[in-house]
Amino acid sequence: MKKNIGYLLFTLGLVLLASGCEYDNFEEPGSLLKGNVVYNGEPIGVRTNAAQMELWQGGYALERNIPIYIDQDGSYSVALFDGQYKLVRKEGGPWQAELNDTLIIDVRGQTEFDIPVTPFFTIESGDIQESENSLTAEFSVDQIVESANIESVRLYLGTSLLTDQNRNEFSQTLDLTGLDLNQQNSFSVEIPENLRDKEYLFFRMGVRSTLSNEFYYTQVEKIIL
Amino acid sequence: MKNSYIITILVFFLLTSCNDEKWLERDPQNLITDEQLWNDPQLIQSLLANYYDRLPSMHGVFNTGGMSEIDDAMWSGHYDSNWRNDFQYGDDYGRYWDYGFIRDINLALDNIAQYSTELDETKKSLYTAELRYIRAFVYFEMVKRMGGVPLVTEQLIYDFKGDPSSLQVPRAKESEVYDFIYTELETIKDDLEGNNASQTRANSFTALALESRAMLYAASIAKYNNLMSAPITLPGGEVGIPSEKSSDYYTKSLAASKAIINSGNYVLYDENPDKGANFYEMLMTKNREVLFAKDFELSLKTHRFAYDNIVRSLTEDNESSSNMTPSLNLVESFEYLDGSDGALKMQDGSGAYIAYEGINDIFENKDARLYGTVVYPGTNFKSTPVNIQAGVAVWEGSDYQFLAAPNLGGTYEDGALWTGFDGPRNDAQDVSNTGFYMRKFVSEAPGASTRGVSAVNWWPWFRLGEIYLNAAEAAFELNDPEAVVYINSLRERAGFGANSVEALSNDIIRNERRVELAFEDHRFFDLKRWRIAHLVWDGNEDSEDAIVYGLFPYRIVRPGHPDDSKYVFDKVRPTRFRRARFFRFANYYSSIDQNVLNNNPKLIRNPFH
Repeated sequence: MKKNIGYLLFTLGLVLLASGCEYDNFEEPGSLLKGNVVYNGEPIGVRTNAAQMELWQGGYALERNIPIYIDQDGSYSVALFDGQYKLVRKEGGPWQAELNDTLIIDVRGQTEFDIPVTPFFTIESGDIQESENSLTAEFSVDQIVESANIESVRLYLGTSLLTDQNRNEFSQTLDLTGLDLNQQNSFSVEIPENLRDKEYLFFRMGVRSTLSNEFYYTQVEKIIL
Repeated sequence: MKNSYIITILVFFLLTSCNDEKWLERDPQNLITDEQLWNDPQLIQSLLANYYDRLPSMHGVFNTGGMSEIDDAMWSGHYDSNWRNDFQYGDDYGRYWDYGFIRDINLALDNIAQYSTELDETKKSLYTAELRYIRAFVYFEMVKRMGGVPLVTEQLIYDFKGDPSSLQVPRAKESEVYDFIYTELETIKDDLEGNNASQTRANSFTALALESRAMLYAASIAKYNNLMSAPITLPGGEVGIPSEKSSDYYTKSLAASKAIINSGNYVLYDENPDKGANFYEMLMTKNREVLFAKDFELSLKTHRFAYDNIVRSLTEDNESSSNMTPSLNLVESFEYLDGSDGALKMQDGSGAYIAYEGINDIFENKDARLYGTVVYPGTNFKSTPVNIQAGVAVWEGSDYQFLAAPNLGGTYEDGALWTGFDGPRNDAQDVSNTGFYMRKFVSEAPGASTRGVSAVNWWPWFRLGEIYLNAAEAAFELNDPEAVVYINSLRERAGFGANSVEALSNDIIRNERRVELAFEDHRFFDLKRWRIAHLVWDGNEDSEDAIVYGLFPYRIVRPGHPDDSKYVFDKVRPTRFRRARFFRFANYYSSIDQNVLNNNPKLIRNPFH
């Protein structure tokens, strides 16, 4: 009797193994669409988990969007099936929404595609000097969209690569008086006491326009203290 | 032989016992049919009780955690929830899309029309009106968070013919939803008269109160959205209201407010000559200030607001207390009784700390509502003095050194109190991190702060104080000179003299709302409809508004000096408050869930999503 139960369980297990996997036997998407969100060929820094783009593919009964999550350095990648996709540059990022200007992308195997956007402002950080617990950084802010105004320029210090408005150890809003657009500006900031004993810090700056929701960030820079 | 007798008797019973057909056709005892439900006032009322219980609010109805994210307060409770001090309002913050509830109400309305045959007409129209009131209330909650939403007023039933497009209702304009709410309320308000004695069921005055609030929201969106440098709108009007509609909305709001105030059915609670205690009692004693409340009852339905927020040393439970602690920002927004700005005087012009004789002297002559809202150092709660003192300030020859005790309630070397049993203490849990505790809504009843008994004080959906403020704001926008009268009568109740405000301004009205209605689920929506939320909570770490500050009182240790044993006050930024509040344009209207968008291609997204 005991042996029978053993056989029975074994057979049941076999039946389950043989029959239970039908739904999993779909082919996984094998192509990869990747690239950067760019302005003038330069990738745009964004906040982790913030702005998104959307892909749509027509011709199927179920029509729903495929979200593209953008890495903090402006790169993205999506696993897809081969085919033609439509890309929508959604609102909510530090760039102008272009909801009606759809980009068509043909995905065949490994496909690279840079998504061009028009940010309201761009910011670039230059030389960063560290001395005596203070940082001196150079940066320039360029206006791209005429109608926009600067809401604020901020700098962030963090202990991880993911440093932005949401994740940081220290942030400071810069005084905008005397800021020269399209010129090199420089400022210095004192490193707060609780960060002075770290071996390194991550430095980032952001600019936000009065028309946008999100900051446009510089690429993260690692500063060895 | 004997057996056959028994069999005969049994057969006899079998044949005769069933001749009563009613015995077989009995009503089931475990389900209620629609005919039974909709003809029995008792059953209808219990159904309505369920619907009233489901009335939505953002972070109202004693939601301590939610309040600490958007009100003038921070989370000082368990570390596990410290994300409330360290987060950003997400795109879906405040999302509310409850068509399940709308469908339940529409179904109930259909059923009462179809099945209620034995109910008398006044009752039937009263219940119908109550259901429609709840539906208007739900739509108001949706429109203020999502903008224009689909207006569904009947059940949507699929016909299984393969075409679901009749079920896909597009979004109405934002103004259309507000208009719908107004017309609904105007239609039903007379039918609701039967409830006019009740403060917990919808009646004519709660209908007017919702009109007063909803029309004020619509009016200020119409006005202030269009004053932004880049107004938040959608081309179809689903978001954004044309500015020319604002004066009509303000007029409707003012008319509704006036009807309530002039009815005399409600009074501004003013029973206790101690104005501070009066303001506290106003929300605790179930009186005629409140137009519409969510009621609670011991051992049946209670809430844990007292358990969550009571002063640390006065809790009767072994866990919690001190979860939400009000900010210095709020305390300073209460003016002085002479009408001067409410900023506390911690330091003199040269930056030296001002020594105060008593620990509550710094709060002297403040608006009495401060006492009624916040527990500050040197006051009582439950008739017991609270023990708030951050530590000692030891004079070091040129400056004070602030020392906090290792244990709450510790004694300093000079034999006197070091840090109080109620803190404040920086970076600690279950003790205030700001130097203040909640008084508003926190019950003093015995056992209220235990989980076993809990509190039963009302949640006020609408109260007369708000109606006065609505009237003042609407009248001010319409250049009606009566505006200042409404503000002054509220301020008189708060301890100010007669006519304390002479020239009204937007800033005064907004500050009055901030202090009068603190923690009553208004602040977030007020900031939104005035379109200043993104300026107040700008994410700037140097901002005075986006940061929650605290005030730490220290006892001076300076033997031989006249200041010895006096108190100095230090403004601090609590360590646990990690991130300046940052309200983005995207937060003015929450994002619609992607699944909802996928199911209904006629819906369009909100701006910035």
